[in-house]
Amino acid sequence: MRETEDVIDILVRDLQPVPRHALERRFVLAVLPALAVSLLLMLVVVGLRTDMAQALTLPVFWIKSGYNALLAIAAFAAVYRLSRPDGSEGHFFGIGAAIVLALAAMAVIQLALSPASSYPVLVLGSSALHCPLLILAFAMPILIANTWVLRGAAPSKLGVTGFIAGIAAGASGAWVYSWFCTENGLPFVVLWYSLGILLTGAIGALFSRRLLRW
Amino acid sequence: MIALTRQEIFESACNQSVIHANDIADDMTNAHSEHALKMLMLLSLDGDEAAYRRLLGTLRTLLVGYYGGRIGTAAKSDTEDLVQETLLALHARRATYDRERPFTAWFFSIARYKLIDHHRKHGGRYKSEMELNEEIEGDFREDAIAARMDVERLLNGLPQHQQELIRQVKLEGQSVADTASRTGQSESAVKVGVHRGIKALAARLRGGT
Repeated sequence: MRETEDVIDILVRDLQPVPRHALERRFVLAVLPALAVSLLLMLVVVGLRTDMAQALTLPVFWIKSGYNALLAIAAFAAVYRLSRPDGSEGHFFGIGAAIVLALAAMAVIQLALSPASSYPVLVLGSSALHCPLLILAFAMPILIANTWVLRGAAPSKLGVTGFIAGIAAGASGAWVYSWFCTENGLPFVVLWYSLGILLTGAIGALFSRRLLRW
Repeated sequence: MIALTRQEIFESACNQSVIHANDIADDMTNAHSEHALKMLMLLSLDGDEAAYRRLLGTLRTLLVGYYGGRIGTAAKSDTEDLVQETLLALHARRATYDRERPFTAWFFSIARYKLIDHHRKHGGRYKSEMELNEEIEGDFREDAIAARMDVERLLNGLPQHQQELIRQVKLEGQSVADTASRTGQSESAVKVGVHRGIKALAARLRGGT
């Protein structure tokens, strides 16, 4: 019993005021620099897509960009809530599924409007195999940042938190990658981008117990 | 001297709700209530060491009860270890407390996490997790707290003396005779006061205002 008194003494002596929004600040200070690193990595290693000026006028470019950005925002919001011990993922899985389904519907429309001869390009493109892996690579700085923030926070559902932290990183990595990727097929995006994002999520879940435990 | 300044701090912290000095005194004796603990936590987050010491002392007592009843035959030193670990976790991760939300829900989530972690270390993982998911934190569940806050809000619309009578007779379950002698009113005056208060509350609920 005596010992607990000592613990309380030590904690009281160590008390420092906590600024409002300390947790939010920690997220922003970790994730934004990581995103900058990821963008820099993309610019240096692969560079912007060669037809950038033209691409900016294409709806598919912006749909691709929006898909990743929306997924990332939904996932970051859920991770932020999950970083508190009494937090939950909320409706993340429903919202995420709706975003994927919306893109899938647009992909079907694109296929329906295109000649069958263009299907291989729209579905497989020329980069199907390395696309998910590059997304994973560009996601790593953000996954590391997420893990760092969460290790200082108090998530109580480690598996789900690790998974969604991975999804947030994967979707951010995919968004970064979309500035380089020249694919214009929405079926390609819904398949291979999503695979890269899921892959990052799986890695987040896989290491969650070991890395996020407190 | 210290007690006096703390009282002042409490009063200034409470002044946004319509809670007066008697309630604050009640809360301080009934130190386990959500309201009192949250006030202490808010003061602690701003660096008030006296409030923090009081908070940790109270939480320690709550935790001994919480863990004592849940780790069964395990040694008493296990309970004490868990209590210390939980207080350390609260300290290290206090930035994850959202000032807008109930304190006890946050705090018992940490306690529960530490309990599950403890069971996991000692085998028995699935059993404990299932039990805990079913488990109800009694007074400290968020909906229970919300319900209590609703009652308080309703009561705040009543005249002061009716509020007080309803609180004592209906919420705290004290006898009419005790309440009458404490407030210096006759028993019938207490009964009438409670009756009128309840009627006013019913009218408010029906009127939806």
